[in-house]
Amino acid sequence: MITFAQYYKKSATYKVFSELAKEAEHFTSTIGQIAQMGIRMVKRILIDGIEIKELFAQCERFGISSLPITLSIVGMTSIIVSSQVANEMVKQGGSGLIGMLMTILTVREVGVIMSGFALISMIGSSLASELATMRVTEQVDAIDVLGVDSVGYLFTPRVLSGILMMPVVVIIASVFGVILGGIASNVFSGLSYRAYFTSVWLGLYMKDLWVCLSKAAVFGGTIALISCTCGYFAKGGAKGVGLATTKAVVWSFISIVIWDMIFAMLFFF
Amino acid sequence: MSIEVKNLVKKFEDKVVINDISFKVNDGEVLAIVGFSGSGKSTVLKLISGLIPYDEGEIITSEGDIAMVFQYSALFDSLNVFENISFALRERKDLRKLYTHEQLQEIVAQKLELVGLQGIENKFPSELSGGMQKRVSFARAIVTKPNTILYDEPTAGLDPMSSTLIEDYIVSLKHEINAASIVVTHQMSTITRTADRVIMLYDGKIVFEGTPDELLKQDNPYTKQFVTASLDGPMQMKA
Repeated sequence: MITFAQYYKKSATYKVFSELAKEAEHFTSTIGQIAQMGIRMVKRILIDGIEIKELFAQCERFGISSLPITLSIVGMTSIIVSSQVANEMVKQGGSGLIGMLMTILTVREVGVIMSGFALISMIGSSLASELATMRVTEQVDAIDVLGVDSVGYLFTPRVLSGILMMPVVVIIASVFGVILGGIASNVFSGLSYRAYFTSVWLGLYMKDLWVCLSKAAVFGGTIALISCTCGYFAKGGAKGVGLATTKAVVWSFISIVIWDMIFAMLFFF
Repeated sequence: MSIEVKNLVKKFEDKVVINDISFKVNDGEVLAIVGFSGSGKSTVLKLISGLIPYDEGEIITSEGDIAMVFQYSALFDSLNVFENISFALRERKDLRKLYTHEQLQEIVAQKLELVGLQGIENKFPSELSGGMQKRVSFARAIVTKPNTILYDEPTAGLDPMSSTLIEDYIVSLKHEINAASIVVTHQMSTITRTADRVIMLYDGKIVFEGTPDELLKQDNPYTKQFVTASLDGPMQMKA
């Protein structure tokens, strides 16, 4: 005779709940891994210090090589937004405020979040696939067997370069976005450059700048830490590298949106 | 005594992959660990090198470095041969300030000469053949003068001549640095040409321990099946 437990184990409900439990376990273990790697990295920085040469190499990767794609994304978003907003503002008699609106929008949101998305797709995915490939080809094991702490060696320069370079990227991208917003307003709505750029400073406060820079640093560190962690814990061969990269991109996207919400609630409500 | 393994147990989730094994390797001795794929050979190396933690038992090693030569060399593909071999000397906290760049160049040149690959310092791993990569990984492993060397299938996938060359290096390193060595392999030539003693693993347990000659005698049903590469016998291939 079949028992209730046996019957239940064969049911669709059991399958759904066991899948959910597996996902929940996977979710919490990933959070644990990210926290563990972050703590281990800070510990290595305090004990071993920072390898400046490697840090510069990673800064170049994070900052300079990502700039073209970041500028393109932020620039195009600014053109899209200003081409739609400027027309309406001109109709409503608010042409003198278009520059201010675009600047607030770019500095507070568009510049930093779009740069974040650009860096995830370009740098985050490359960090994750690089470390995942090193993991599946035993290069990470080789680092540890040679007596070098793999987390300190691999994570420290990459995460620090994210924290240091993302604010730089965001400043350049935001300035570029505001300028392109002015050009788009002129082209699509006939707004004069003088009217646009005179109002650029009206709504901008020091608080906006430092919140923007802090947010950029947090985003940069988060993207690098999550991407490195997902790559570091990759399993299997080519499939494992692909899964780790996808996971890094998805987790980074979600994380920076959550961070963005936290910053908005803390500083602008 | 350089390595002593006592009652070692390793489980992955509920599956016991190493089940209460014990053995010793003395300085200047080469122990071959043999067995079919999935018998737990590479896991033993990872446990000894500290790459994965064990669940029960004890591993006692003499003071000093443990080096490992990986199955697929595991050279750092973004670094050139010089940077690969000098990696530990440049990056390890206790070693990194001891050597100037000129000294590092000299050490790397010496190690490359030892493995018969002079003048390739500026090449990247992708520019080397499989056999050359393996020899560079030998040079990288011995750069810190380890007293324990672990070889994970050092001749797998190599042509017969490259295999012979690698086997000769294992033997010459044994004499030169008097290290305790463990060679995981299932290649008969590697066993007979390098090993002083052999243990055979099956299902995480030691099923044979003796010399290479005793292994070849096939007195034991496990060794008989292994040496004759037969599908019939006590060892069953797992699906």
